[in-house]
Amino acid sequence: MPSRPPSALHRDARLLASREETPGYLELEMECPDIAGAAQPGQFLMLRAWPGSDPYLPRPFDILTADPARGRLELFLKVEGRGTELLRALAPGATLRLTGPLGRPILLEEPGLSSVALLVRGAGAAAVVHLAEQAAGRGLAVYAILSASTAARIVCRRHLEGPCRELLVATDDGSEGYAGPAGDLLDRLLDRQRAAGRPEDHPQVDRVYTCGSRRFARHVQDLDRRGLARGFVFLEGLMACGLGDCHGCAVPRADGQGYHLVCRDGPHFPAAEVKLP
Amino acid sequence: MKGVELGVSIAGVRLPNPVLPASGTYEIDEPHDGFFSAGELGALVNKTIFREPRAGNPPPRIWETPSGMLNAIGIPSKGLAWFLSEELPRLRRLGPPVIASIAGNDLAEFAEVAGAVGESELADLLELDLSCPNLRDGIPWATNPDRLREVLAAVRQATRLPLIAKLSPNVRSVADMAAVAEASGAAAVSLVNTYQGMAIDLGTRRPALGNLTGGLSGPAIRPLAVYAVYSSYSRIRIPIIGMGGIAVWQDAVEFLLAGATAVAVGTQNFVNPLAMREVIQGIRGYLERTGMGSVRELTGLAHGNNSTP
Repeated sequence: MPSRPPSALHRDARLLASREETPGYLELEMECPDIAGAAQPGQFLMLRAWPGSDPYLPRPFDILTADPARGRLELFLKVEGRGTELLRALAPGATLRLTGPLGRPILLEEPGLSSVALLVRGAGAAAVVHLAEQAAGRGLAVYAILSASTAARIVCRRHLEGPCRELLVATDDGSEGYAGPAGDLLDRLLDRQRAAGRPEDHPQVDRVYTCGSRRFARHVQDLDRRGLARGFVFLEGLMACGLGDCHGCAVPRADGQGYHLVCRDGPHFPAAEVKLP
Repeated sequence: MKGVELGVSIAGVRLPNPVLPASGTYEIDEPHDGFFSAGELGALVNKTIFREPRAGNPPPRIWETPSGMLNAIGIPSKGLAWFLSEELPRLRRLGPPVIASIAGNDLAEFAEVAGAVGESELADLLELDLSCPNLRDGIPWATNPDRLREVLAAVRQATRLPLIAKLSPNVRSVADMAAVAEASGAAAVSLVNTYQGMAIDLGTRRPALGNLTGGLSGPAIRPLAVYAVYSSYSRIRIPIIGMGGIAVWQDAVEFLLAGATAVAVGTQNFVNPLAMREVIQGIRGYLERTGMGSVRELTGLAHGNNSTP
């Protein structure tokens, strides 16, 4: 069975900078050469940075960026509970205990893979930044659609502008970009590509990743079912270890045969393999 | 410096040190899991196995609480056939003694699983999970003395392997149940499994766990578990494996002083994957600093001459 990711490391990291450019959203830059060197797109880590046993459990966070050359990692997170409040209070120089990288890497070596589209909402954008950078670095066309309730909550734009060929915005209140369901923008993007004659011949090689919204996950699952794109969904689950040991982060399998674990089998899944809540 | 002896004996099986994983809290990889080698542990304990594969409970399965965690995982597993053909042989090769953790939904299943594990000759000890609070199939065996006697008798007939009874704290007196376990043929007891508890999610205004109730573990329960060990120590002669909220070596020493011969680290493995190694090193350092020759000298010291709580 061995289930634990062979790459998982348990290391101390030093906090270099803590930024809150958007109120309520924290960007942490840290030095941790071993994990920065091992991290692949799609992976996450567990973090704990407070003494004592309360809060007790480490917290899972997406790896926003990993820079192996400089030994640095960036995390992006929404401040929404006691653990993240404690992280917000940390000053540069603080020590953070990390376990990672965890989860399955997203492999981009597939022959014929030419473009990736990202449909993300709010802090869910953090899950796909590393992916966008790596995909663009391999010469893939990357399209991102960022969605939020209002313009002030569009996050990670700075990180996605560079790698993305096109970056579209949708807001619920119309304060920026498209005033409507961001899924519409994805549909139009796919239509346009099809009209250009390219992915229709090879629809199996184009992928859509979505994170941060159950509605988007259903939308991408639907596109996948109709054969319009290969869809992948990032999922969250309450997890204690991130290693596959606690079996906490179960999500139902689409085939009814029990559960996947978000930490071990994900955190991203082919859309057809999971039953969405 | 003169070496200290960390080895202990449970039912005639020698453990190289007194620290093991609580069942279901540590996936034992081989030969080295990136954190430390399984060969460093006092014993290997699998996630509890039933006869049939099990999917586990619907999510949410865990919920953080002050200094602790509620869980209602539901013991997902691949079943007895897989355990016998793949997992047990794999654990056997890793070196430390193997404690096979088993359970059954009824007496016949319990006896069948125990018999099959015994016949495999791949396990040194059998730990009977008599106390998981998360099974919908019925009340835990170890919450009723008659049922506890019954299941131990049935398993006793099915195998000659020494039996460790993992008991429930959800009873009026753990010590009473430990005495029943000893009288019914258990060679050791594991004290304790999780405490039944519950949390309500303010967002949904519903129970937080998919199973509605769960088992509480972590440092929050440690004083309760230490009391269970202390109060049982003076009532039984068989060894106690102490567990419940051990996070650091000091906690482990507390259980040993209360009367445990060995200790299990559980939920802390999720928090710190190096926890068991650090506990082993910490116990060694404590023995060295205090000039004790063997970890066995610690067991029950807290009782002094007054062993009745």
